[in-house]
Amino acid sequence: MSARSALPVIAVAAAVAVLSGCSSTTSGGKKGSGGLELVSSGTLKTCTHLPYAPFQVKKDGKVVGFDVDLVDLVAKDLGVKQEIVNTPFEGIETGQDFTIRTCDLAAAGMTITPERDKVMDFSDPYFNATQALLTKKGKPFKKVEDLKGKKLGYQKATTGGIYAKKHGKGVELVEFEDLGLLLTAVKSGQVDAGINDNGVLFDYVKQNPDTAVTAEFNTGEHYGIGVRTGNDALRKKINAAIKKAKSDGTYDRIYKKWFGTTPQS
Amino acid sequence: MSLSKRQRARVIRGVQYGVLVLAVVVFALVADWHQLRMAFFDVEVAKALFPDIITTALVNTVLYTLLGFGFGLALGLVLALMRLSSVPPYRWIAVTYIEFFRGIPCLLVFIALGFGVPLAFEVALDMNVTVMLSLGLVGAAYMAETIRAGIQAVPKGQTEAARSLGMSHGRAMVSIVIPQAFRIVLPPLTNELILLTKDSSLVYLLGLSLTQFELANFGRDALNEHKSLTPILIAGLLYLVITLPLGQLVRRLEARTAKAR
Repeated sequence: MSARSALPVIAVAAAVAVLSGCSSTTSGGKKGSGGLELVSSGTLKTCTHLPYAPFQVKKDGKVVGFDVDLVDLVAKDLGVKQEIVNTPFEGIETGQDFTIRTCDLAAAGMTITPERDKVMDFSDPYFNATQALLTKKGKPFKKVEDLKGKKLGYQKATTGGIYAKKHGKGVELVEFEDLGLLLTAVKSGQVDAGINDNGVLFDYVKQNPDTAVTAEFNTGEHYGIGVRTGNDALRKKINAAIKKAKSDGTYDRIYKKWFGTTPQS
Repeated sequence: MSLSKRQRARVIRGVQYGVLVLAVVVFALVADWHQLRMAFFDVEVAKALFPDIITTALVNTVLYTLLGFGFGLALGLVLALMRLSSVPPYRWIAVTYIEFFRGIPCLLVFIALGFGVPLAFEVALDMNVTVMLSLGLVGAAYMAETIRAGIQAVPKGQTEAARSLGMSHGRAMVSIVIPQAFRIVLPPLTNELILLTKDSSLVYLLGLSLTQFELANFGRDALNEHKSLTPILIAGLLYLVITLPLGQLVRRLEARTAKAR
């Protein structure tokens, strides 16, 4: 963090101290001292944008999924409970949710990109993702270029959208607010194809046999868990949890639970 | 303390002003202006938005609104007449329609038409048609009630006079009553237009291509691109560019109807 951006933080901290009427000495607020501070003590707040099966999905009034299980490991290490906050993906992606202290971390099937890295800090990669193309069954589209003159849907603020914009010359791009709308639009024929991460699309095809994944584009993407810029204490905890899970087989077990296979690599 | 009634009132008012000033001062001191300015008033980001935010987003917002309003107005008039009809089934249909569409969120109508219709009939409606129907169906429910009130506000004597001239009931409605009714309901109809302007942002649910972006969606998209809240602020201000003149128009019309009385 640069000195310039540290100033406002101090200003805010001072303001908060003034507002709270000097209720206590300012023990918190310092970062990098090894002490881990949570947005609200006792809970690890996770920002995500629902639904994103099988990473996060609501089931029987609870949010479950691959990401949820993984963050639960972190929460367990910290001795706190995980609480999921559902927020628009753009709030996560732009780092606003960290700025306004909505949550401690963001686990939202989110690809690590240099752009996003500027507004938050990422954990080590925890999942290899590629982009994939969803169409109605029997459509011949094997790559984005095949969709010339056709409609290709993407989800706002996703890497799939970036890929589509880059490779989709002559393709009519249609933007959707969230995944559910995008998938329904493919199913209802509003768009000829939709682009999104392979994990979620395969999950959708399983439940909707009239649709198919016709192509995958290896974009070399990795999912990462985001934390507020400079929150190294938490980032280290997350990395440790991922590393431990990968070495003791917990990761494979969770992976199998949500994807039905074991990870290849 | 012995204060007279007036003195006490003055003290109380003074305290109120004091609290207000204090609140403003605290806000001004506590707020992180640098952060706020960076987030909301980033000049570079703002520049990048033009001219597309006007030529595409603003134009589309106006287009969607007018489509919805036009359809809604026509349907609303029909519904109002049905509601006033002497044929019971017409009245029942109109009342059911109005209660239903006034009672459900506009969002549901957009989803039902945008996704339900293609799934049910395997035809995807044109985007503009879907918007026109969605906004119009909801707007019509409100406008029907407004127009009905307007028709009922036209003095009975007008109809009677028209009928005594030999006009049929329908003829009297079309040439005498409805024109007068519209004059009465112009201000509330303009309010409806303002409401529809904002509801038009719900079109995002249908999925938009670049040329179909309206203000709210444009702002949010640019928010992602620039990682700044400035686009949202500017898009919001542009809604004012549409709605403020409309509000002005309503006041003008109100003044004119008041004078005509």
